Amino acid sequence: MASAGGSHGIARTARRRTDEQRQQDLDRIAKYRGLEDQIREQAKAHDYASPALFDLTTRLLRLNPEYYTTAAWVMALEGVAEYISERHYETAFRRLLALVLGCDPARPKVPATYEEWAEWYNNHDESTKILEDAGAGRNSKNVANDASVLQSELAFTIPLLIEFPKCYWIWNHRSYILSLCIELLPVSLAREVWTAELGLVTKMLTKDRRNFHAWSYRRRVVARLESDVLDGKSMAEQEFMYTTKMVNQDLSNFSAWHNRSQLAPRVLDERKADHVARKVFMEAELNLAREALNVGPDDQSLWYYHQFLMSQILPEYKCGARSWSRIAPDLTLEERTDYVKREIEEIRDLLEDYKDVKWIYEALLEYSIALDGMCKDKGTTRPKQELTEEAQTWLETLRQLDPLRKGRWDDFAQTG
Amino acid sequence: MESLGDEPWDVVICGTGLQQSLLALALSRSKKRILHLDPNDFYGQHEAAFSLQEADSWVTTHTGSSGAESVAQTTTAAPAEGSAGPGGRVFRNANVWRHPEAEANGLTFSRAYSLALAPQIIHTRSKLLSQLVSSRAYRQVEFLAVGSFYVHEPARGDEPAKLSRIPSSREDVFSNTSIPAKSKRSLMKFLKFVIDYDSDDQRDVWQAHADTHLSDFLTTQFKLDDDLRKYILALTLTLDGKVTVANGLAVIHRHLTSMGLFGPGFCAVYPKWGGLSEVAQVACRAGAVGGGIYMLDTSAEVETADVHDKVSLKLSNGISVQAAALISSRDDVSHGETISRLVAVVKSPLKSLFEATVEGAPAPAVAVVAFPSSTIPASESASDPPVYAMVHSSETGECPNGQSAIYLTTHTSPSAKKNLEQALGSLLATAAEQETPICLYQLYYEQTVSEGTPLVETVGAVPKFSFPSPSPNLAFDDSSLDTVKQAWKQVMGDEAQDDEFMIFEDREGADANDEIYE
Repeated sequence: MASAGGSHGIARTARRRTDEQRQQDLDRIAKYRGLEDQIREQAKAHDYASPALFDLTTRLLRLNPEYYTTAAWVMALEGVAEYISERHYETAFRRLLALVLGCDPARPKVPATYEEWAEWYNNHDESTKILEDAGAGRNSKNVANDASVLQSELAFTIPLLIEFPKCYWIWNHRSYILSLCIELLPVSLAREVWTAELGLVTKMLTKDRRNFHAWSYRRRVVARLESDVLDGKSMAEQEFMYTTKMVNQDLSNFSAWHNRSQLAPRVLDERKADHVARKVFMEAELNLAREALNVGPDDQSLWYYHQFLMSQILPEYKCGARSWSRIAPDLTLEERTDYVKREIEEIRDLLEDYKDVKWIYEALLEYSIALDGMCKDKGTTRPKQELTEEAQTWLETLRQLDPLRKGRWDDFAQTG
Repeated sequence: MESLGDEPWDVVICGTGLQQSLLALALSRSKKRILHLDPNDFYGQHEAAFSLQEADSWVTTHTGSSGAESVAQTTTAAPAEGSAGPGGRVFRNANVWRHPEAEANGLTFSRAYSLALAPQIIHTRSKLLSQLVSSRAYRQVEFLAVGSFYVHEPARGDEPAKLSRIPSSREDVFSNTSIPAKSKRSLMKFLKFVIDYDSDDQRDVWQAHADTHLSDFLTTQFKLDDDLRKYILALTLTLDGKVTVANGLAVIHRHLTSMGLFGPGFCAVYPKWGGLSEVAQVACRAGAVGGGIYMLDTSAEVETADVHDKVSLKLSNGISVQAAALISSRDDVSHGETISRLVAVVKSPLKSLFEATVEGAPAPAVAVVAFPSSTIPASESASDPPVYAMVHSSETGECPNGQSAIYLTTHTSPSAKKNLEQALGSLLATAAEQETPICLYQLYYEQTVSEGTPLVETVGAVPKFSFPSPSPNLAFDDSSLDTVKQAWKQVMGDEAQDDEFMIFEDREGADANDEIYE
């Protein structure tokens, strides 16, 4: 935002530092490095519980707030100090120091591959042992202790997630801790932890609505919350509403539309919807897709959802090996034909204003051909072999808009 | 204080209006000796913000319709710099109304209010913001989000009057339930065009019509119906409804491309505590830190020109100073465009106007409501010009919790005041949740503008640069920054380097906290 570029866009950086300022910078760097050295010395003495060490790390944090892990640990430790036994306290500090000092001070090193994670675990056998012990139920029956160890482990990953929201291994580590929560903690406590996890995913999706990893992680969290181990019940209705919220924020959210298509049949089953209710639902969804396409016909994720709905309407034998109809399985052929006719009309309207969008022509052709077939079955249409004139112009336009897919357009010409 | 006259000043700036203050900011790192005066006892001049008491005293000096005598005016022949010139006053016909039981109903102590004379919103893409950042002055201003823009729709048949939110994004258009499908498509086409309007491809569409009315262009080129035209014109914040294609497209483009720049759900910001007056004060503060001397309650008149290459000024405190350059503001406004403004304090937080519409968006503190030109099918012709209401929640610091400050603006005409009052009434009727809120206080005035260009003259051998009076536009217009740069260039002369204008490093120790190193 700040236009610090000079003439020809060459950045004006430290050109204007005076000698005084430069010396000041050097002094500060020296003090900073000195602080780090002091911490290293203290660490060598293995006196992790020393207040002096705590003090040093606090100062380091104030100097460089980039030490995310330091912050998380200081907070976690301050909060749970009274519950953590000396052994855990040691572990905490060992991990802290390893991260802070073992690498470039500006950035905590996040293990990026399975090998790196394994190496990280092996170099911190203390903590691994605790987690393993906990996992094998060999730990003390002190639930509060376990809970705090697990919580601090979760807290430890939060700043890493903020910095690397798409790193699969961090999510994996969290999943591991979360499953330990299920094994070790009473159901109510475990549920709290997992509910908080859903909150975390929601926050991440607010920041980045289309984070593919976050969406699939969300599905796993929801599945767990619904499962018996957490005394759960179906959350399909809430999750369906969540997809509504997300597409209203951003229509181009493929993951949200995809989720919606998975949830729709479940929602209807849970509502014990009858044929009438299912038709009402179908019509509402078609409206939604249509309103969306009306303002964003060049958006593939919208066509995806429309196609999903159409696959629920077209008789199975007309749409090949797609999902069988679970939204409204009892539609009569007449009802289906009416829906298809209506959709073709609505999509045709789009042509008034959007003349260069190939998806429109493709949809029109596909559904016209399907309609033809359905009418033939009803015995209500001419046994013609070619496409109507109008469909011919659509095909022509398609060929021009997307000449590379000539083969596909030729298929259209034949099936007509 | 006698020492003021000893050394000559490189620049004497009269008036602490926004432009003069930005100039002081721009000069704050130079070695120029700057004396910055203001005849008022407050900062901000024509862009100041007032407590109730300050508003009262301001009103007494701006009441009446002619170029009435100013209380502060001296009796010498030459008018004081920065006060009323012979052409007429910038502000006139000011008056205040208080509810008969105002205090009982919640009108509290004077300083709980900070009513802005310049409630301009600032689009996030505005250069003002990037200049405040690069000059390091931004930290002292707290910016709040401007939220939704609405059009007031009068009652139609069975339907009561309502406020319709103007769609500014594809998702807005999608979730709108009152625009028909075909109209939505036309609107999307227009929005896409505007975002790209200054590209080579799109120029052909509009360049030939650049100086025609935008409303005609919307009908002929984009087939927008009455309702959509009202939405688009409202986004331009046009005060006479006659905005040109070139100007209108520029504002809408700025609006749309500003959306989401600083965060989701808003396209403009507003400085807390009184709008542009805050920016002026922060700029003056920077000027003072840079060594400038500030004196309020002080005006200056030219005594003698030609004292070598300086001009001699007599300050209202009796001291004479010498200046090598003079900066002032134009007060020759007799033939300029005039607007009428009504500032109302109402006893309601008007929560419905300040809802954040997007997840993760900051809660807005300002809402904009447009009352498009009414087309009264009366025989006497002319439709009244549009009225705009900028509604401010107490988050702006301009009124206490539980109340709101509303700034209504329209072009001056015989019925202007009545139209403003009617608009206020309609707004309160549609925006309130339960009963219509009480109005506690109203300040009315008219404001005229000078020519939009600065006046560059010489007084003896000394250059005098007078900034134009503030523009009545409801959104901050970047062109005034160009005028500031022009003044800066004149003052700096050969030393002026473009890449140093408003671009500074942090002052030593400004940001850092050395004690944490100890």
